[in-house]
Amino acid sequence: MRPFFDLLKKIIQTGVGKTRFLMAAVGLGIAMLLILIAIQAHTNFSQLLYSSKNQNETADFLVINKTITNAMMGQSAKSIFTPEEIANIRKQPFVQAFGVVTSSQYKVVIQAPGDLHFATDMFFEAVPDSFLDVKNEDWKWNEGDRTIPIILPNDFLNLYNFGFSLSQDLPQISQETVKALPLQVNISNNQVSDQYMGHVVGFSDRISSFLVPASFMAWANQKYSTATAVGTSRVIIKTPDPSNPTLVKFLEDNGYTTNQDKLKFSKTRMIVQTIVSVVGFFGLILLCFALLVFSMFIQLVIASCKREIQLLVILGTAPQQLQRYLLKQFVPLYIVVGLLSLLLLAALQYWTAAILAAHQMLISPWPGVLVFAGMAVVLALVYVVNWLTVKKYVNNI
Amino acid sequence: MQIQLNHLMPIPLQDKLRQRSSDIWNREVTFQQGSFVKIKAPSGTGKTTLIHYLYHIRYDYTGQVAVNGQPWPSYSKNDIARMRQQEVSVIFQDLRLFEQLTARENIILKNVMQGKPYYPPEKIADMAARLNVSHILEQSGKTLSYGERQRIAIIRALVQPFQCLLMDEPFSHLDEENTQRAAALIAEECKARNAGFILTDLDNDQHFAYDVHYHL
Repeated sequence: MRPFFDLLKKIIQTGVGKTRFLMAAVGLGIAMLLILIAIQAHTNFSQLLYSSKNQNETADFLVINKTITNAMMGQSAKSIFTPEEIANIRKQPFVQAFGVVTSSQYKVVIQAPGDLHFATDMFFEAVPDSFLDVKNEDWKWNEGDRTIPIILPNDFLNLYNFGFSLSQDLPQISQETVKALPLQVNISNNQVSDQYMGHVVGFSDRISSFLVPASFMAWANQKYSTATAVGTSRVIIKTPDPSNPTLVKFLEDNGYTTNQDKLKFSKTRMIVQTIVSVVGFFGLILLCFALLVFSMFIQLVIASCKREIQLLVILGTAPQQLQRYLLKQFVPLYIVVGLLSLLLLAALQYWTAAILAAHQMLISPWPGVLVFAGMAVVLALVYVVNWLTVKKYVNNI
Repeated sequence: MQIQLNHLMPIPLQDKLRQRSSDIWNREVTFQQGSFVKIKAPSGTGKTTLIHYLYHIRYDYTGQVAVNGQPWPSYSKNDIARMRQQEVSVIFQDLRLFEQLTARENIILKNVMQGKPYYPPEKIADMAARLNVSHILEQSGKTLSYGERQRIAIIRALVQPFQCLLMDEPFSHLDEENTQRAAALIAEECKARNAGFILTDLDNDQHFAYDVHYHL
């Protein structure tokens, strides 16, 4: 076909409106770059969020409760989750594991041993063991045991050590000391009062509460509770991504609240997602315009050579030959444009990776697989649109 | 390649043509593969129209033109293109060369249209020499005289495979000597392919050993 196409080149002048065509090609390049940037930014962000290099643990635990408003004050029943609400939380896609926080239905007083003269009213809560960040062999309780293992919130010890003890001129206490202290635990209801030994086995960063094993809680609630069973007012969930905007929206919609600090990344993420979407959207719009200009250019070329093309067809040139020839005039340019934008993106990505690495944020210095897929899709789209246009106008001659 | 006419009648000329008798119009005619056919026609009786119908670039007729047993409209565009590259060639009365190509390029266009060249360059040079157009091969189609164009159009029609050659007053602008040379070349090329032709002209002539004569 080469000699024939060489002759066609002299007959079908594709030079008409070449500036417009080149401008459309530049437009295509920018469009493709914007789309690829949007895809790559998405990939990068996912890497920052989920990659094991950037996070010590992928999942996070959130304790969720209803927001206490002024209207609810004094009506503790209003802060309790109904079974339907619990079922609803359980079935959300972002909930990997679900547990209820059981609170004690009896009075607790803890006393320090010997002559420390320290006593305080307390409460206990229990969560399923899988939600704990403290692993300790002593964390177990069987019926009949007089010693209750206890987990304290880390914050509690910090409040004491850096707030309370300094202002009261009391000694600061290390974690080891607290663990070694035998505590006296008085559990009572209005009729009976029993004494147990308390043993602090660890400090939790995850759950801000005084925790005892679930087995003890179940047993003690049954033994000491005077009221009928009280509902759940706090639940704990495990979620792969606490910055998931769906999660944040779910909490807001239902008037639930949790440790806001864990959700703050969500806002950043939404802003980035919006920007990325806007960039991608403009890329798509620009792509549409580029496609339109290409179609019009092809139409112009064919219309301006209508007589020549008619004579070629009369002499026996097949429409397929003409289509192939015309596509061959345009398609290499698209591929070059595609490769150029890919190169540019690769350079950008390399540069971004270097900058982020300086801030301990690790992303791949190479464009992601999705970028290549995106480029292939855009090029395929451009090819198909061109092919259809050429086919349509050649067949109309 | 067999061409059959089945009561073919040009719509614009039908009133005029019904008043006179014709061997072609409104009759059943079969042009056999390989036969040399001469159609003699006075001006205005639809000579060029007939060639255009046979080559399927005009469609304003009643009746039917069947090629190899099938009417023209039943062939697809790509089929028609293949047949124009492989089975049927044409010399138009108005020649239809590309003015932006040189004479040689006009010839080569048909020589390579179906893929690899049908004749080597030497053969084309030889044909040009026989028709006395070697010296104008590099000139652009625009600058050629009508007689020169006519000879280029003849060579162009002969550098492709065909079973049937359609010619519409192919020697109208050639002197006697060049006509003889061109006719000899055409006859030779047809014989080499075992092909036939259909030639329309105004008058009687002795350029070929015709198998069949018709009056349009």
